[in-house]
Amino acid sequence: MKIEDSFIVQASRDRVWAAIIDPERIAPCIPGCESIEISGPNCYRARVSFAVGPIKASFNLEVEVTEETPPSFVASTTRGEEGTRASVLTAHNELHLVTLEDGSTEVRYVSDVSIVGRLGRFGLGVMKKKAAALGVEFAEAFRARVEQDEAA
Amino acid sequence: MRPMEFHEPATLDAAAALLAADGEARCLAGGATLVAMMNARLVEPSALVSLRRIEELRGIDAEGDGFCIGAMTPHRVTAADGRLAGGHAVVREAAAVIANPSVRNMGTMGGSIAFADPAADYPPALVAIGAEIEIVARDGQRRIGAADFFTDWYETVLGPGELISAIHLPGAPAGAVGVYDKLARVEGDFATASAAVVLAMAGDACSHLSIAVGGCGPTPLRLAEAESALIGSGLDAEAVQRAGEMLAQASDPVDDVRASADYRRLVIPRLVARAISRAITGARAVL
Repeated sequence: MKIEDSFIVQASRDRVWAAIIDPERIAPCIPGCESIEISGPNCYRARVSFAVGPIKASFNLEVEVTEETPPSFVASTTRGEEGTRASVLTAHNELHLVTLEDGSTEVRYVSDVSIVGRLGRFGLGVMKKKAAALGVEFAEAFRARVEQDEAA
Repeated sequence: MRPMEFHEPATLDAAAALLAADGEARCLAGGATLVAMMNARLVEPSALVSLRRIEELRGIDAEGDGFCIGAMTPHRVTAADGRLAGGHAVVREAAAVIANPSVRNMGTMGGSIAFADPAADYPPALVAIGAEIEIVARDGQRRIGAADFFTDWYETVLGPGELISAIHLPGAPAGAVGVYDKLARVEGDFATASAAVVLAMAGDACSHLSIAVGGCGPTPLRLAEAESALIGSGLDAEAVQRAGEMLAQASDPVDDVRASADYRRLVIPRLVARAISRAITGARAVL
């Protein structure tokens, strides 16, 4: 499933970029992210939980940055599984930062996610709605964080 | 797989106490959905609290001009209760088209609405009739309107330790007719889209109307503008079509194995028109 959206942050592109590549700052903005650590050059390890109705899932994710053009573009792959390997998740993510006329920054992201295993049996239509809602939640938290740092 | 406890309390109080003691415990009603999800390892409760032995949760009782339906009443019983006539027939018709006879024997109204599948049949019917959901916890009970009970995809207001004890159907206006119309790929499937309508006529004009669309968003969709545009009118085909289009516009359907979101938006006005047309025929017969 493809998740595609964009949001605007009232900060310069350099500031937004600095926040995007800083796991300490970005992790608290990711809904359900319990921990994040640097596991190697361009590699991060994260634990993320979410729920759809009665179904709860917790994934151990490996994120690898595959391409980076500061301060405008980053591509990454995400691979992960639930502790029991009941579901396996893979994703390719791209993120673009664009400076707008008023000096603010538009963040555009697209993520192609596939889930196989037990969660794959659950309706992907609803998963997609859920993922989009989490994307909006992230955008709000991230924007608030960067704009707050900007004001400080 | 971790071990799971199984309880079969005989009273509602005992069930509420068990749920209060263990936040990961789940109520087992008919099991039509929960057991299938456990088999698929989608949910793994620490304990099951079976409601099967709690007598007060079963059966349908007249209550003023309306009815009180126990949460553990199986769909088969609801579908066969001839007292659910007039406006209340919307609930009976919804019960009659849920899945197949085996599921209608096992599945219960409380279980179905607690799971809150947006494509299930009861949610739009209960929203259209203005039902109230009675919720019990260890420290008391509360009632909430069906429209506020469903909050998101597969999510309700039910908190930890709470269970549904009954569904109250209010009285319907005199001469009202309730209709539930479901579009499904095959008989017994979840709804691709559905429409629940409760309608009354005064002469040639519509005097009461509620429309709830199912399967086309996180929760049943009811739209005051669409209804008020039709109330007082003669329900001509063009006005009904426009109201259906307003509902389609306000819907938020998914793309899934049953249909695309675009297809669902396309069929909503037709389904609403079909349900209203059948309700008008019924209302004329009543007059």
